[in-house]
Amino acid sequence: MSLKTILLLIPLLPLAAAAIAGLLRKQVGRAGSHWVAILGVGVSFLLSAWVLYQQIFLGMETQNITIYTWMISGGVHFEVGFLIDHLTTLMMTVVTFVSLMVHIYTIGYMATDPGYQRFFSYIALFTFSMLMLVMSNNFMQLFFGWEAVGLVSYLLIGFWFDRESAIYAGLKAFLVNRVGDFGFLLGIAAVLYSFGSLDYATVFAAAPGIAGKTVTLIPGMEWQWITVICICLFIGAMGKSAQAPLHVWLPDSMEGPTPISALIHAATMVTAGIFMVARMSPLFELSDAALSFVMLIGAVTALGMGLVGIVQNDIKRVIAYSTLSQLGYMTVALGVSAYSAAIFHLMTHAFFKALLFLGAGSVIIALHHQQDMRYMGGLRKQMPITWITAWVGTLALIGFPFMSGFYSKDSIIEAVAESSRWGSEVAYWSVLLGVLITSFYSFRLLYLTFHGQPRYRVDVGAGEHPPDGVVQHAPHESPWVVTVPLILLAIPSIVIGYLLIGPVLFEGWLSDAISVLPHNNVLEHAAENFHGPVAMAKHAIGTAPFWLMITGFVLATFIYQFRPALADFFKQKLPGIYRLLENKYYFDELYQKLFISRSVRIGRGLWKKVDAGVIDGGLVNGSARLMGNLAARIRVWQSGYLFHYAFAMIAGLIGILAIWVVL
Amino acid sequence: MNTTNMLLAAPEFWVLIMACVILIADLFIREERRGIIHMMAMITLVFAAIITVRGDYLSEGLRSATAFNGSFIRDPMGDVLKLFSFFILGIVYVYAKFYLRQFRMFRTDFYTLTLFALLGVMLLISANSLVTIYLGLELTSLSTYALVAFDRESKRGSEAAMKYFVLGSMASGMLLYGMSMIYGATGSMDLADISVAISNQDGDSMILVFGLVFLVVGLAFKLGVVPFHMWIPDVYEGAPAAVTLFISAIPKMAGFAMAYRLLYTGLGDLHTDWQQMLSILAVLSIVLGNLAAIAQTNIKRMLAYSTISHMGFILMGLLPGTADGFGASMYYVIVYSLMSAGAFGMIILLSARGVEAEQLDDFKGLNQRNGWYAAIMAMIMFSMAGVPVFVGFFAKWLVIKAALDAGLLWLAISAVIFSVVGAFYYLRVIKLMYFDEPLTESPIDAPVDFNAVISLNGLLMLGLGVFSGSLIAVCMSAFGA
Amino acid sequence: MPITEIVFYVFSLVMVSAGVAVITVRNPVYSALFLVLAFFSSAAIWLLLEAEFLAIVLILVYVGAVMVLFLFVVMMLDINLTPLKEGFIRYLPVGIVVAVLMAAELLLVIWSKGSFDQGAFPIPPPNPVGFSNTKALGELLFTNYLLAFEAAGVILLVAIIAAIALTLRKRVGEKRQNPAMQVRVQRDERVRLVKMDPEPRQGN
Repeated sequence: MSLKTILLLIPLLPLAAAAIAGLLRKQVGRAGSHWVAILGVGVSFLLSAWVLYQQIFLGMETQNITIYTWMISGGVHFEVGFLIDHLTTLMMTVVTFVSLMVHIYTIGYMATDPGYQRFFSYIALFTFSMLMLVMSNNFMQLFFGWEAVGLVSYLLIGFWFDRESAIYAGLKAFLVNRVGDFGFLLGIAAVLYSFGSLDYATVFAAAPGIAGKTVTLIPGMEWQWITVICICLFIGAMGKSAQAPLHVWLPDSMEGPTPISALIHAATMVTAGIFMVARMSPLFELSDAALSFVMLIGAVTALGMGLVGIVQNDIKRVIAYSTLSQLGYMTVALGVSAYSAAIFHLMTHAFFKALLFLGAGSVIIALHHQQDMRYMGGLRKQMPITWITAWVGTLALIGFPFMSGFYSKDSIIEAVAESSRWGSEVAYWSVLLGVLITSFYSFRLLYLTFHGQPRYRVDVGAGEHPPDGVVQHAPHESPWVVTVPLILLAIPSIVIGYLLIGPVLFEGWLSDAISVLPHNNVLEHAAENFHGPVAMAKHAIGTAPFWLMITGFVLATFIYQFRPALADFFKQKLPGIYRLLENKYYFDELYQKLFISRSVRIGRGLWKKVDAGVIDGGLVNGSARLMGNLAARIRVWQSGYLFHYAFAMIAGLIGILAIWVVL
Repeated sequence: MNTTNMLLAAPEFWVLIMACVILIADLFIREERRGIIHMMAMITLVFAAIITVRGDYLSEGLRSATAFNGSFIRDPMGDVLKLFSFFILGIVYVYAKFYLRQFRMFRTDFYTLTLFALLGVMLLISANSLVTIYLGLELTSLSTYALVAFDRESKRGSEAAMKYFVLGSMASGMLLYGMSMIYGATGSMDLADISVAISNQDGDSMILVFGLVFLVVGLAFKLGVVPFHMWIPDVYEGAPAAVTLFISAIPKMAGFAMAYRLLYTGLGDLHTDWQQMLSILAVLSIVLGNLAAIAQTNIKRMLAYSTISHMGFILMGLLPGTADGFGASMYYVIVYSLMSAGAFGMIILLSARGVEAEQLDDFKGLNQRNGWYAAIMAMIMFSMAGVPVFVGFFAKWLVIKAALDAGLLWLAISAVIFSVVGAFYYLRVIKLMYFDEPLTESPIDAPVDFNAVISLNGLLMLGLGVFSGSLIAVCMSAFGA
Repeated sequence: MPITEIVFYVFSLVMVSAGVAVITVRNPVYSALFLVLAFFSSAAIWLLLEAEFLAIVLILVYVGAVMVLFLFVVMMLDINLTPLKEGFIRYLPVGIVVAVLMAAELLLVIWSKGSFDQGAFPIPPPNPVGFSNTKALGELLFTNYLLAFEAAGVILLVAIIAAIALTLRKRVGEKRQNPAMQVRVQRDERVRLVKMDPEPRQGN
């Protein structure tokens, strides 16, 4: 098999699996569809790993392959092609691995769901789309993948389409992402306009050429053309990677099934924005203004969303806000030109966040779809594997030394500290404080869920839909299809940072994909101080992040293990802050007021007056009526009489003769 | 005349011989083993394709080669059209076998008549003189007249055949009259000589234009363009679905080739004249076809009017008289034939024993009865409506571009508007399939070969759209664009 | 006026009037006979053009075979004439308008700009003595027009097939012997031995 075939197989196998599981539902059956999907994604993972192996150990060159030229219009080639460098391979491997784990996990989680096969079809389709996105070598395919993962994401958020809230959440995700996509599309259009090509290599090669070009968008204000392009592209990333203020859809997306939250809304799809910016590093490097913008948005998200996580009670929402906050960290890293640190954190985060989500899912099934942490507690005895793996995930998330999250997060903080970009002080304090908050809400979750006394009651006769705090059966450990993925995800959550920090961050392993201008290279300084992962961990004990993390741990332990009343005390003492956080800074309300209600009002007005009256009544129905009438009239001509037909022909002949011969 | 030259017509000879062989073989094959005839017909097509592909004239570096004293021509355009005729006729045979078996009409005549019609189509495609064009046309028409009345018990079939025959004879008469004018003015039957004679003539071309009008009328009837379209709805409805399938798919290829040969090879110098005539016919077809289709409740009639509008689009591609335009038109006609074959294949599929599923209501709730079939039909309908990504979109796009190249903005705009109008009735089918309750719960079953072919046919709608480049390139390069 | 011209005008006049009569007379038999007359006249005009073979073929084939067959059919089928004529008067005005328009256009073309002047179509030189029209035709048919000739043959074949396909049918209740089956018949097909239990004795 040629390399091209293998590379083609990697995305196409999940696609084929999606088609089989989705279309041949009757033929393959329930078990058939999960086998097909797992096999497709599994082989795809193995092939990705093989490519990774080739690159690491056998020194395979970067591959830029055009698979198919879709069309050529006005000199622009619209192509399907793969750009396989280290960045791509890393993403491919992470995506397929997490996807595979989620596939296996789904067998247990969705066991009784009527949409079982549909679900497998969707997640395999998602894997295909995500792979197309990361493997792309041009903007068009990137956009295709971008929209495709978005589409699958909406489908999956609204997977339980009989729930009102799920439909609403899907709609919200769709609308918010439209805003981002609009920016993204503008960005791509600007790229096409200024470079005349959609191919990465061509665009990146030509990028320095337009560095000095300016454009006047608002009279009196000159903008760097490259800044406009980058900010437009980044708006796309803000939508997809849920950066403030376009983050509002992600917490609501938790309406989807938990495996989806793990795969799409934590590990892979939401990181597409991060990946895209890293991929576009040759463009972003040229614009300091755009990078500052990126960094500040990330800083706001990292700190602000972490704070909201503290007051949430829904276990999945806590993790969702934690995801937002971690995405903020990655964005900050992008903003200070530490692209490889962002990608590194993306990777470690994919493992431990998927682990946490799947652990939460395990708890949720044990408690019969109870997601409120106030009705949990003490589950460590019944669910030891879930408990231990949740600890692993938590330690990785808070950045405990030697865990994967430690290496990636500390590198980001160090990079921000090194940076001299405009506003980097704000970002530094945000990410630093973020450590404390992360630690606090993570342990809060852990304690409320697994430690202390159970706050639920087992009542066998509680019926199908028991009230909150009552479960029908005593919780027990989940089946092996659930726990095995947990264990498999826990391993990289522990070791991956230790193993890869050297090559990924400091040995320039990603340098074939990422370009950093010398004066922006914050990681270079960090590299000088880097003397192996062990030394880094030892060194960390004397630094602020470590102690902030310990503080968070101590606070959480004190409050939630020993003085639960303290939490309520703060709640009452600081009602303003609490309400602010509880209501997530009133973003939803703001949007509701500013855009939705107004646009609903405008929309309603338009609908009543313009649409119903003019367009519907006049144009649409009117034209439909007109067409209908015309059609009915024309129909009469088709009388069925031969001589009518012959007459029509003769009339036509005479008509044409009259026009061309006589006149 | 040397024999190597005659071998250019080897595909035609092969089809003729096999049609006669099948005619005779029928006498020796018992009724229950008629599947053999089907296999023989399929083999005929396969080998015809192989013989066509091995066109040696190309290897000699020639763009085209003529035989029979210039009355027969082989060129890449003809080869591509013939190959697609074979391919689509193969699809037609698979669908038709299922239909004919179900309706107890599985007779060898169907195969012999369609093969002779195919021979006529091939002759028309390769015709390089007025005589060959006329004879090819007659051969095709005569076979199809008989095919329309193939169901001898059906009154509608006989009536439709009668109408088709009378109107077709009229059209043939007009075509002949026009040819006689052209012959009178140029003194030659050979298209190449005609072209030379016209360019040498100076000044008045009254007789030529006069003849041209009749030629265009004959051509318009063949394609079914307004106002020479009246036969189409009646014939489509009256003929058995298997025959409609054939008529809607194969002869259109010949119609396109005939238009190209007559108008471009022969009368290329009258381009401004025929461009105007065709643009009026095109817009009439697109408008009337799309409008009338809305009012139909019978899906065969609906598809008939949709055919009329598609023919308008095919004419649009001819207008600029450039290689790009002809390529676009040829691409359209191939795509149209595939779409049409698929649509009638679906009608055949839904036809229960003895009752044709010719009402739109028969498609109600198809998704609940069988999701895959509904998906296939949806793909075909999307493609016919010209929804992007599906192949029909690219076909429409290219011919509209051709109209713009010809400077006919008004035509391009009306084509766009009326394809939107047309989308309505295609999407109505989809709505019926997905959102309405089925009238019957009876399961749909079809033999394996039928399922395989219709799945392929449906997927081609998507596949050729996603990978649209190669077929477009083939069509464009056939004209040297 | 030379004699050929007089002959031409006479026969064309006869031909056109016969053509009009074909579609106007009420009786189909007369109509067919007028058609025969039209064929005769056109054959005569062909003779004027020194196309003897075509003239003779026209008479032999069309008059001798086709029209006679046609007359037979018309006489055997008893066609009711009234309904056929019903529409005639009703649509006559429209028909006349169309016909006049058409004729006007044709005449305009013929008269305008002189495309159809005699000068545009010079009289061909007369054939040499001993020229065989038949031979010349044959030579053309089997060389230049070989493909057309073959195609025409195929068209006739298709016509035969079509005619048979549309009309040959097995009648219900038809009694016909199939000798092949009679010869091949086996004993078992004709005689069936039935094994029966002896009937129980009736009554007491």
